[in-house]
Amino acid sequence: MADYLPHERKLTLKVVYYGPALSGKTTNLMQLHTLLRPQRKGELMVLETRDDRTLFFDVLPIGLRGEHGLDLRLKLYTVPGQVQHDSTRKAVLSRADGVIFVADSQPPQQDNNANAFDNLADNLQKLGMDIEQLPIVVQFNKRDVPGAVDEAELQRRWRQTPWAPLCMAAAINGEGVVESFRLLLKRLYPVLDREFHLAADEGISEDDFVRRLSALDADHA
Amino acid sequence: MRSFEDDPTLSELLPGDRQQQLLQLLQVLSGRPLVLSETPLTGAQAIEFNLETLGWLHCPEQPRVQQAAARLLEFVLFYVGKYRLAANLHHDSTEASFAELQRKHAALQESEARYKALAEQLQARVQEQVQVIEKTQQQLYETARLRAIGQLAAGVAHEINNPIGFIASNLRVAGDYLGELEQKLPADQGTAFLLEDFRALLSESASGTRRIETIVNDLKTFSNIDQADFVPCDLNGLLATTCHLLQTEGQALDIQLRPGTLPRLSGYPAKLSQAFYNVLDNSAKSLGEQGCILVSTRQLEDGTPEVVIEDNGCGISETDLPRVFDPFFTTRPVGSGTGLGLTVARDILIAHRGEVLLNSRQGVGTCVRLRFPRR
Repeated sequence: MADYLPHERKLTLKVVYYGPALSGKTTNLMQLHTLLRPQRKGELMVLETRDDRTLFFDVLPIGLRGEHGLDLRLKLYTVPGQVQHDSTRKAVLSRADGVIFVADSQPPQQDNNANAFDNLADNLQKLGMDIEQLPIVVQFNKRDVPGAVDEAELQRRWRQTPWAPLCMAAAINGEGVVESFRLLLKRLYPVLDREFHLAADEGISEDDFVRRLSALDADHA
Repeated sequence: MRSFEDDPTLSELLPGDRQQQLLQLLQVLSGRPLVLSETPLTGAQAIEFNLETLGWLHCPEQPRVQQAAARLLEFVLFYVGKYRLAANLHHDSTEASFAELQRKHAALQESEARYKALAEQLQARVQEQVQVIEKTQQQLYETARLRAIGQLAAGVAHEINNPIGFIASNLRVAGDYLGELEQKLPADQGTAFLLEDFRALLSESASGTRRIETIVNDLKTFSNIDQADFVPCDLNGLLATTCHLLQTEGQALDIQLRPGTLPRLSGYPAKLSQAFYNVLDNSAKSLGEQGCILVSTRQLEDGTPEVVIEDNGCGISETDLPRVFDPFFTTRPVGSGTGLGLTVARDILIAHRGEVLLNSRQGVGTCVRLRFPRR
């Protein structure tokens, strides 16, 4: 849950990249670190990996300052995807304000996607969070791999869920990464605005919120 | 409680003595004095970690040195912070896993206790059922035994009834003939002696026949009780009549009757009287000098009608006590008791859905309680 310290005027938010092992969560974060020019950006911290797999988590802090002095920070985390790291996954997921679920588009990985999504639902429930209330974006990554499951088919499968439409991405090439992130910011903003009156009290509109947190090099050019 | 992801302070990442060590190394490298503070200093460079300003580094009049030193410090803090985050996360998730394990352990223990209790309950129920089965088997066996004896008794009684009838009748006729013979025989002393002995023989035979008739009657009662003839009965009235009958029959008996209030009871008056008679007769035969019988009736607290027949007679020995209700069990000399008195009394009570309880101590007396069902 969003962490607000009134005496410091500091609002810290948490977005978690969730998903099965090797689906490209860390790649998403690395691309964001490369592509984004938000108002404030910290260092990407990749804690520890083994054979390209995250062991703990990665974190990228970004932030903006509101006109009335609000210090808004967004910490982007990844979780380890491997099944055995469930307690770490749960610890990182705890108090999240939004989730980007990174699924793998390759046909043999569809079972893993489903298991990981069940695991997300399961852990949210254990942490006392409501999956229906939490802003979630589902991204199907690795669109560049030959034989990826057809997009129309994926969209059809998810049409009846609260998480449609899906985002398509090829994170390795930087495609769809920022779009997924922006979609999450759009879904996150109304929740925050309700609780912290961002527009009324802090002068931060939805457009400001999305633009200033996800500005690109090109936007400045 | 602090979470692993809370922003750390400078001294949390780097303790004071380590800060001083680092600062000294930086001063040696730069050849300039440096100040590091967790509160803002004028003209100082902010030290950031994950967008959080942790402190300020000041190197007077040397902005380039100050800048480079600050970046170097941030570089060190970045790696310290990485380690710290991983360690904190590991700690958090270990604690959570342990708490989860403890919770599961407690749940398992609870369920184990529940199953244990269940197993014990089941064991107790099985034992209960075994007892019920054993009791039922015992009852079945008793019923079968009694039915067999009853059939035997009924058969014997029927077969004996006819011959005993004509023996008794013949004996009476034989007595009459004896009178006629006396007239026709010479009246000498030898003949008179012979006739007198003859009469005594006939009289003894007649009394023996009567006893056989009594036994046959008992056997019939024992073998055949039918609820079809039940009518409302006054137990106190039946008891009074039975006592009176007993007193007129034999020697003088001291019987005290203390009737209580009893409801009328559905039963077979003749059989009930028979049961009372059998018990009272046992008491009477047990009495010595100054012996007396106390007969009382009452209703128990739950409404059960009860007839109590107490005596201060010879009592029953402990070895005989378990067998007093067995058919044909008797302690009296052969010929003087049928061994059916209490058996018949008990069967009459059972036929009335009642029960007989017997307490006795040898040399002190006997107390028999006849209990009838509540309305």
